Amino acid sequence: MNTKLKVSEISKIYPGCIANDKVSLEFGSGKIYALLGENGAGKSTLVKILSGVVKPDEGKVFLNDESIKLNSPLDAKKNNIGMVFQHFNLFETLSVFENLSIDSDKKDEDLRVLVNDILKKYNFKIDLDVPVLNLSAGQKQKVEIIRCLIRNPKVLIMDEPTSVLTEQETDDLFVSLKQFSKDGILIIYITHKLKEVLSLCDEVAVMRKGKVVSVSNTIDEKIESLANKMVGENLNTIKKKINNFKNSEEILKISNLNFKSDDPYETNLNNLNLSLKKGECLGIAGISGNGQNELFQILSGEIITEDTSIMFRNKEIGKLNPRERREYLMAFSPEDRISQAAVPELKIYENVALNNFKSSNFFEKGLVNEKKIKEHSKKILSNFSVNTDNVELKSQFLSGGNLQKLIIGRELITSPELLVCFNPTWGLDVGAINYIHETLIQINEQGKSSILISTDNDELLKLSDRICVIYKGKLSKIMSADTVNAEKLGILMGGGSID
Amino acid sequence: MSFDLNFIGILIGAIMASSVPLILAASGELITERSGVLNLGVEGMMIIGAISGFALMVVTDNLFFAVIGSMFSGLIISLIFGLLTQSLLTNHVATGLALTIFGIGMSAMIGKNFVGIPGKEFPLLFLSLKESIPFVGPIFFGHSIILYFAFGLPFLTNYFLKKTKTGLIIRAVGDSPTSASNQGINVTLVRYSCILYGGAMCGLAGAYLSLIYTPQWIENMTGGRGWIALALVVFATWSPIKVLIGALIFGGITILQLHMQAVGLRIPVQLLSALPYIMTIIVLVVISRDSRKIKLNTPTSLGQIFYKEK
Repeated sequence: MNTKLKVSEISKIYPGCIANDKVSLEFGSGKIYALLGENGAGKSTLVKILSGVVKPDEGKVFLNDESIKLNSPLDAKKNNIGMVFQHFNLFETLSVFENLSIDSDKKDEDLRVLVNDILKKYNFKIDLDVPVLNLSAGQKQKVEIIRCLIRNPKVLIMDEPTSVLTEQETDDLFVSLKQFSKDGILIIYITHKLKEVLSLCDEVAVMRKGKVVSVSNTIDEKIESLANKMVGENLNTIKKKINNFKNSEEILKISNLNFKSDDPYETNLNNLNLSLKKGECLGIAGISGNGQNELFQILSGEIITEDTSIMFRNKEIGKLNPRERREYLMAFSPEDRISQAAVPELKIYENVALNNFKSSNFFEKGLVNEKKIKEHSKKILSNFSVNTDNVELKSQFLSGGNLQKLIIGRELITSPELLVCFNPTWGLDVGAINYIHETLIQINEQGKSSILISTDNDELLKLSDRICVIYKGKLSKIMSADTVNAEKLGILMGGGSID
Repeated sequence: MSFDLNFIGILIGAIMASSVPLILAASGELITERSGVLNLGVEGMMIIGAISGFALMVVTDNLFFAVIGSMFSGLIISLIFGLLTQSLLTNHVATGLALTIFGIGMSAMIGKNFVGIPGKEFPLLFLSLKESIPFVGPIFFGHSIILYFAFGLPFLTNYFLKKTKTGLIIRAVGDSPTSASNQGINVTLVRYSCILYGGAMCGLAGAYLSLIYTPQWIENMTGGRGWIALALVVFATWSPIKVLIGALIFGGITILQLHMQAVGLRIPVQLLSALPYIMTIIVLVVISRDSRKIKLNTPTSLGQIFYKEK
């Protein structure tokens, strides 16, 4: 059966922000639609309206030419609109099956049969009786999708589904989505990743500042044209010049480093060896969960190791804590901006003060030198183009991009000799990604070194001088970045070998 | 000293009786907490239950009304907590503490006129069996109906949480209220219901004290049992069966140390009095060591205020 979905003149105003400004769009089954826009463009608000989580101030939604009311998520379900949220809407401590059954009126036995049919049909492999917290991000997403499929959806909305997936998982997802589309489900795919739009979707609507600025067929678009529409200005593409550092001074050396964890959910690291030259960027690729977290923590000093296993500028630092390492001019930007890098409830200048040094004089005789910290923070905000000059603002009100700029700025303003960053552009929009990438290239040009742990291969190939892959806690050999490509990395990331 | 078997039976019966208020209050609080609400007002709700049960018994001379009334007053006072935390979005911890203080003060005020009035005899079941079968008799028979209910309750609660759809919904709300709300579950309604149920069970626990265990009204007669019940829920890692075990250990050691004091063992009295608290915590910590299970049983959103997006 054909499904037609139409949103007409939808508006939603939040205090101080027009999230949706008279948005009108039409969708029909058999196609995959992209809804493209930067963070804060209003995509998520629109899909929250379609899924009944948020009520619009104005406008109507039509399903097959009939006006429908979406006052609650139940209304969306009744109208066969399914939604997979960006932040999973699962119950982590409940089993997969419990997560599915909570939403279903069917008897448990019937539901199990139905779910097994879906698993078989789409070749999903998920154990129904394990708690969701044991699943990988890709599997969790499949659970969300199955939850929608149980209800025979006419419309399936995916909100930035690949932000937490590995490349392999992304490929699998695209195969499934194409299959759903063939089966007659109308798919609306929300993203800010341009490549995905081109490889998956048939039509694309671009949103900017709450408005739809363009609707077109993806065949007529290119990455550049979409990027410019999305950002509303011309972006320059960056590519780093790869340097050879054979004769440069060695700044960091890790030798025979082992880490064995008591926590079964952590990865053990086996016999890591690497060295880093002054001014060099070393990229570490890998599918998430292969030991990146542990490696980052070992580098940052959250995990203490043998003294001799890490040498930084000819000093043994394996036993130093993060603060002591910072005194030696190391800097760290962890993966999770909200919970590891910053405290969201604290003001900007307080977050800056957290990163204190003896030399920074933020504290005198146990008292906080507020004036000094605020001056220092203002400098960070302006030097690193953070979109506010109010140091009293709570950090949670910064967008992901601005928060990341603040964190990188906080780390870099002390001119460290080494910056270790872990997925620095995770979940950011194109503009912010570009800015962070430019900054990272800049520090190398200034003769500072960096280690970039990332799950984004494009990013690694763009920024690294040398690259290696971490797989099950082991490092591959370290290769010059001009000798590898995404394909080779992919093989190594999957545990294969290349010559 | 010679203990005959029947004496040990009577001792076990006494231990069971002393653990009843803990089981009732903790089982109620467990449901509340499983929905993500941390109600620290257990002590306050219990003492309100105790005084209203006793007062109703005196006024109506009807034990049935007294018991139902105590549950109802526990429910009403927990409704105050619900209104504050769920509708006015106040902090759970502060509100719960206030509720306890309020309950203790309120009960003392109402209770003024009831001090010194003797209680009414509560009907005990199977008394003849208790007398006629040695050892087993005093353990299993001759108790009030509330005791039998209390000992069934943890198993019922366990079944309810694990096997019924409503139980599943409560666990889901406790895990992630936002996800639950996005799935169309009325989080506020679920949490209100769990709070009210917890209140009613605490009221009943109080009534057990003032109507059956020590049938009279004494100011502050719950004597911290509400706090013990709260601790039991946490140390039992939100498992109803472990709550039962914990309550029995606590009741058991309380009774035993009294006997030890009575026979004049040369251990400081203070140490003996502290023993139930220490032992209960040790045992529960030891039997709840599985970190995976703790993670699965802990209501992730415990104590968090839930706002619904509009």
